[in-house]
Amino acid sequence: MPISPLAQVKGIEVHRGPSKVLEGVSVNLGAGEVVSVMGNNGSGKTTLIEAFAGILPLRSGEVIWHERGESILVRDSDGRRNPPPPMGLTLQKGGISGEETVSERLAVSLSVAGIHSHEEQIADLLGQWGLRHRSEDRVAHLSGGLRRRLSILCGLAPAVLSETPRVVLLDEPSEGLDDSAKETLKGWIRALSSRNHGILVATHDKDLSSCADRILTIEDRILSESTGESSGDPSQLPEPVQSSEQRAISSLIRWSIRMELRNPIETVGRATPAIVAILLSYALMMDYDLQSHDSRLLAALVLAPAFIASISSPALVSRLSESDCGRWWDAVSGPMARPAFSISGASILLPIPVTYLSWLVLSGSVDDQVSSEVLTWLWIPALAMMDLAIASTALHLLVSDLSRSSAAPAPLLLVVMVWPFLELTDALSSIIDNGMTWGLSIHDPLVTCIVASLLSALVWLSAVLIPDY
Amino acid sequence: MSDFRDSAVIITLVGLLCATITAFLGFFQAPLVDPDSWNAPGAYRILYWHVPFAWSSFLSFCLLFLGSVSWYVKRSERGWSMVVIGSELGLLFGLGVVISGPIWGSVEWGVPWDWGDVRLNTYALLSSVALFLVMSLRSQPDGEETRDTLAAVGLFGFILVPITAAATTLWRNRHPGVILRESEETGVDPEILQVMGFGAISFMVLFIGLVLLNYSIYNLRAELESLNREIDKEGAN
Repeated sequence: MPISPLAQVKGIEVHRGPSKVLEGVSVNLGAGEVVSVMGNNGSGKTTLIEAFAGILPLRSGEVIWHERGESILVRDSDGRRNPPPPMGLTLQKGGISGEETVSERLAVSLSVAGIHSHEEQIADLLGQWGLRHRSEDRVAHLSGGLRRRLSILCGLAPAVLSETPRVVLLDEPSEGLDDSAKETLKGWIRALSSRNHGILVATHDKDLSSCADRILTIEDRILSESTGESSGDPSQLPEPVQSSEQRAISSLIRWSIRMELRNPIETVGRATPAIVAILLSYALMMDYDLQSHDSRLLAALVLAPAFIASISSPALVSRLSESDCGRWWDAVSGPMARPAFSISGASILLPIPVTYLSWLVLSGSVDDQVSSEVLTWLWIPALAMMDLAIASTALHLLVSDLSRSSAAPAPLLLVVMVWPFLELTDALSSIIDNGMTWGLSIHDPLVTCIVASLLSALVWLSAVLIPDY
Repeated sequence: MSDFRDSAVIITLVGLLCATITAFLGFFQAPLVDPDSWNAPGAYRILYWHVPFAWSSFLSFCLLFLGSVSWYVKRSERGWSMVVIGSELGLLFGLGVVISGPIWGSVEWGVPWDWGDVRLNTYALLSSVALFLVMSLRSQPDGEETRDTLAAVGLFGFILVPITAAATTLWRNRHPGVILRESEETGVDPEILQVMGFGAISFMVLFIGLVLLNYSIYNLRAELESLNREIDKEGAN
């Protein structure tokens, strides 16, 4: 009886670096199957796993997943992309940011797959992998071996607790594991297979591949297949729980907020240059009657600190680049990961307080009536600055796609943000000179702020849509 | 292939020579413009290079855009070579525009840069996109994902500029006026047009020569890389 496929790649051709790694490769992963991918270093094992996950651009072919009788096109060579159904994924580098705690990471892996776990379940799962005593530690504090155990557990757990057959993709899971953890891994793989989940394991570990039902070997871009030993006894797994709807994007936004609350490097990193800019402007301009000379200059100086805070590189970019964390999120969330990150990683809250602080510090020579009018309406350009911050973050994320993003001059792309900034300067200058007006002429402050927001929105759209096409 | 390279070198040298002649003609042959219509009549001579720089940079950015589209749609190697060449030449000619423009602007307008000038800003943005691409092409390992991201940046720059420029033009009009149009209104001396035309042809020849030269360098680099990979394989065996 043919096995119903959970996921398949059809005729894919994938290039990595300057070379063609896979050519015309087709693989089916069926329910209840354990498939091992073997081959020398650089033969394309990781490429096959990542192609299945839909995170690699394809030169030809397509990746299709099946969920409850429905076929979902996860990615094809024409650039079409959809989020895959809930899955378990362990990337070669782990895909975990060092900022997360152990239990939190496991809970995130489960919630992304639509499984809302209790503390006891989390503790039980961690206990089975010898991680319970470390549950509240940050991942950065774990040894390499423990971190590997955690990333494997996070890859297996969504299937372990799922009632529906799931795909589990494991890239070099036995790397860095001790013998007892490797035995646990083999037992869990066999147990998952008996529960009808499909498991694809890239490994060069012959011992681990002995538990596979099929062995695929990649040599010179060509795939050959042999029958595996299916050896190993299934372990006793925790009982599955009822899963709800997959909420990858909301998990992703909650995750990025939690990371910032734990270590507010983003806020500090943006607020510091903004405050320095306010103090510098104050020191340089304190004896200068800005309003009577040039309201545009005053407006530019007031908005500049918030602008600096908005275009600074977001801490999220470095969090995502840690251990391929961004790739993991990209795989589980699909094409919506980039827009979501550009919003959650942007400096949304800072522009308003920074702009007000800047006005209070720099408006010493402005007469009280004007100052009171500006204070009433200053939130409008400050609010439009939030759009600018989101667009800037999208540009930073675009650059972070490069494999050596730290070597790429991202600020050169941010030159475009000067235009919305100048529009906001015009708007504030108009409020200082004429008070707030509600006309709809092109020089009225409200319309100018809307234009600034639209320009930022255009930048944002270009930066989030083009790369994922 | 060697003949192709030789032709490219010759065309580039001819272009360079003609561009130099344009400068000489601009400085010593072309008549002075009407001193009543210009704040700094003598400084206008820089336009004999500034305007052809702008045309050539526009051609380069078109090459970059077409290459980015071609890479995105067809993953074509030729498309990628256009991205590489377009960004390098776009940077070269774009810098020519954004350097010569402010030199002239500082004496004619009294300020080197006007953030309200759409053309200046457009070229500054496109040149910074080109600089980003050139620096990234040198610092990033060549590969499918790198090419995808850089082609996205190429598209991003090209798509964004006209839209942003149009939006900004609608809302802003601080520029003192388009120089050539002003000159046409007051009547352009045919000798000025002749030198300007010669300059345009010279830079066009230079542009073609540099495209061919860069294409030949691109192919040589690819050949070297493939030979290196063969040596790597032999070493591994």
